[in-house]
Amino acid sequence: MNESEIISRMREAGLGGVGELDTSAADPFVVIEADSLRAAMLFLRDDEACAMEMMHCVTATERKASIEVVYHLCSYEHHHSLTVKVICERPEGGTHDNWRPAVPTVADIYAAANWHEREQYDLLGVIFTDHPDFRRILLPQEWIGHPLRKDYIYPSEHGGIPLELDAIPLYMEGGEEAVAAKKAERPAGEPLNQPPSKYSARPDAGGKAPESSEGKVNNSRDSAH
Amino acid sequence: MGILNNTLPSNIATDAVDGVIGWGRKSSIWPMTFGIACCAIEMMAVYAATFDLDRFGAGVPRATPRQSDLIIVPGTVNAKMAVRVRRLYDQMAEPRYVIAMGACVCGGGPYVKWGYNTVKGVHKIIPVDIFVPGCPPRPEALMDGILKLRDKVGQDEVFRRRSDTAKDLERRYGMIK
Repeated sequence: MNESEIISRMREAGLGGVGELDTSAADPFVVIEADSLRAAMLFLRDDEACAMEMMHCVTATERKASIEVVYHLCSYEHHHSLTVKVICERPEGGTHDNWRPAVPTVADIYAAANWHEREQYDLLGVIFTDHPDFRRILLPQEWIGHPLRKDYIYPSEHGGIPLELDAIPLYMEGGEEAVAAKKAERPAGEPLNQPPSKYSARPDAGGKAPESSEGKVNNSRDSAH
Repeated sequence: MGILNNTLPSNIATDAVDGVIGWGRKSSIWPMTFGIACCAIEMMAVYAATFDLDRFGAGVPRATPRQSDLIIVPGTVNAKMAVRVRRLYDQMAEPRYVIAMGACVCGGGPYVKWGYNTVKGVHKIIPVDIFVPGCPPRPEALMDGILKLRDKVGQDEVFRRRSDTAKDLERRYGMIK
């Protein structure tokens, strides 16, 4: 079956929230509402004519008005595939600090989605509700923020590990005295590392650099659910 | 006491002993079995038959930092890995040497601007003796780095005070200790 036949079959089965096929992209995709995602995935997996045994990627994209979660499904049996998207609209004033979209998990339907969903949470801050093992997968568990968001503020250090180009090394030739002398070279009051504003402004995202990094907690700490 | 404090004068006896010890050390460098990313593939090529690092006495990678003299850091060091690299370095016994292999380890490489997670050079974490740039460096480049390290190891002073000649060399070349 091609994609439009799969979608019409989903409609015949009485599944709601299934949008029109969009062929503007290289991979034609269909947008499904978050509420009916699990029912649609169950149908696509179990229906004999669809038989999508394999989910080979879950990814997410941040756009100006939304975050899209993209599921790539394919069938070994029938040699067809389908791309499913769930679009989470950005609320008014929704930023990295205060907005994390929620999508129901499909990890119990497709086991492969387990780690992929954790990755999307880790890097883009998409919450997958009822996920069996919901925590970060790549970054350290105590990491703050989700780095692939467009308005992410780059950290200057993590747990004492300097992450900036001109950070003062933890060890220098000459021992602690040399490190102290290097630190003393900086004017009083200036932070040890560069303020994150230097690298955080991304022109393509329309992101604005914060005026001052001092006294400002830019990224709220994560809490699952 | 003079040995411990490195304050023995430079004379024919201490020079000779230093020379022998330095020759022994540089001829049997034991690197640690340690690889992080793609540079490790080139490092393995250096150990293997085509390039055969054993010609220079450094071809037996040890599986524990306790037995190693040299840690080659091949690959991107990120925030999670930096803790481990530092711990492995701390576990090595003196004298210990570090080779930073590849662009990422020398200064961030392709992650220098948008690498939210990358340590921009392993010299931020541990002291580095030799930098080998490249993405990844050719095996010949790493071998050249190891040969330069051999020169450095051979000139270490174990028993005597640092001579004026050594300081002069250091000033001139920066690299020789």
